[in-house]
Amino acid sequence: MRRLLLVTALLAALASPAAASAPRLTVFAAASLTDVFPQIDPHERYSFAGSNALAAQIRQGLPADVFASANVTIPDQLYEQGLVERPVLFTANTLVMIARKGNPDHLHGIYSLGGDSGLKIVMAAKGVPVGDYTRTVLAKADLSGVVGRAVSQETDVREVLSKVALGEADVGFVYATDAKAVPGQVAVFAIPRQFQPKVNYAAAAVKAGSHLAAAEAWVRRLKGKAAQRKLRAAGFLVPGRG
Amino acid sequence: MRRLTGAAVVFAAAFLTFAFLVLPVVAIFARVSPGRLVAQLSNPVATDALELSLKTTAIAQALILLVGTPAAWLLASRRFRGRGLVVTLVELPLVLPPAVAGIGLIAAFGRFGLLGGTLDAFGIRLGLTQAAVVLAVAFVASPLYLRQAIAAFEAVDQDMVAAARTLGAGPGRAFFRVVLPLARNGLAAGEALAFARGLGEFGATIMFAGSLQGVTQTLPLAIYQEFAVNFDVTLAMSALLVLVSTALLVALKVTLQWQPSQRTSRFLFAASS
Repeated sequence: MRRLLLVTALLAALASPAAASAPRLTVFAAASLTDVFPQIDPHERYSFAGSNALAAQIRQGLPADVFASANVTIPDQLYEQGLVERPVLFTANTLVMIARKGNPDHLHGIYSLGGDSGLKIVMAAKGVPVGDYTRTVLAKADLSGVVGRAVSQETDVREVLSKVALGEADVGFVYATDAKAVPGQVAVFAIPRQFQPKVNYAAAAVKAGSHLAAAEAWVRRLKGKAAQRKLRAAGFLVPGRG
Repeated sequence: MRRLTGAAVVFAAAFLTFAFLVLPVVAIFARVSPGRLVAQLSNPVATDALELSLKTTAIAQALILLVGTPAAWLLASRRFRGRGLVVTLVELPLVLPPAVAGIGLIAAFGRFGLLGGTLDAFGIRLGLTQAAVVLAVAFVASPLYLRQAIAAFEAVDQDMVAAARTLGAGPGRAFFRVVLPLARNGLAAGEALAFARGLGEFGATIMFAGSLQGVTQTLPLAIYQEFAVNFDVTLAMSALLVLVSTALLVALKVTLQWQPSQRTSRFLFAASS
């Protein structure tokens, strides 16, 4: 019997974060924030994935305290569904095209993808923020046909990044900050301003979380000087009105 | 009193184990009505994934049977130095984490992998293709078949083979007429296990083959991707895999219990050891 109690206690300890004075928050964040969030605050527990997958987990009741998305639409939806507090815009990004290291295919930019280029193109799936942004860019550039020629539809931006960095794919679309996170491993092509989508990041405290006040404070701190300095150093931008 | 508490603990442990293992499987069916589950399966994501899973699994299993059977026979019937090491290495993918399998496949067959340059010279790029799905499935599933096949071949009475040979059968004829029929239960069991493992392959596939509906997106990949889009479709595909896996497991049990006339015929010959 004592052993059973011990096992139960052990399981309980594993399942619930230590109830110390400063609660350890569980932060669900967009994959593009993988490097910068732990720099801003190494204390919390992070789960990085495609923002839409994280939203699905929140809808299914997985215990998160904070949700940080690579767009505003998904947190707005969760807000309307009463699952999160009012979302806060905290940073922005731009989209870039990346190619294999050293640009062996001699690409010049997105128009190198026109026609039947024979290139292996990867992008994120529809519904993943970066996947939607990629489709916006291609539509604005009159290159929508490229979507159908993609050889893989990934679930988050880091998977796109690694496929190109490993050389399995020739071309991909990621955020400028992702390309910056693997210096020298991919060739980066800027996307002309007129094709750029508005990439704004919004964060919100999750209502079902067990530390709502702390989570709200954490979200507010993302707009503070210290966090913004870290974000700027990683290549993130000041959010525009969107 | 003490004995009573002991029994209670054992029963509680047994009940916990059972409930813990069964509940998640039951929950997949409990959330949505069966009619709705079936209706979700007509979603193109689900139909494409099912078709692709069947196709890639069939090709992978054919390769495993064709190449793995003679290989297992050789490993079972020959004794040579380092045999234990070879068998262990063959079994290794079985216990490797899927993500490690994915990295290994990229490191070996990827464009910058060990064989990448050679393959490139022939104009072959495996990464992010359907062939990569087949390779990933074969890599993780074949050890299950090989393990079982080696055991099945080892259990074949060598005197039976010798008898066939003295009666004039060539090595090929002896293999197909004597060895294969005697080992078929073990082979079928191994194949069922490999089939189930291959159908569920996820980590190595998503890393090495990517995920594209109708091309490389197998059922497990579709479940992962659709989770963020439509939970009901995810449930339906999961339910389908539960049913297929159950069928495989039942088939496996039946195969292992069903014994052909091999038992009785053994008495026709002298004891082997």
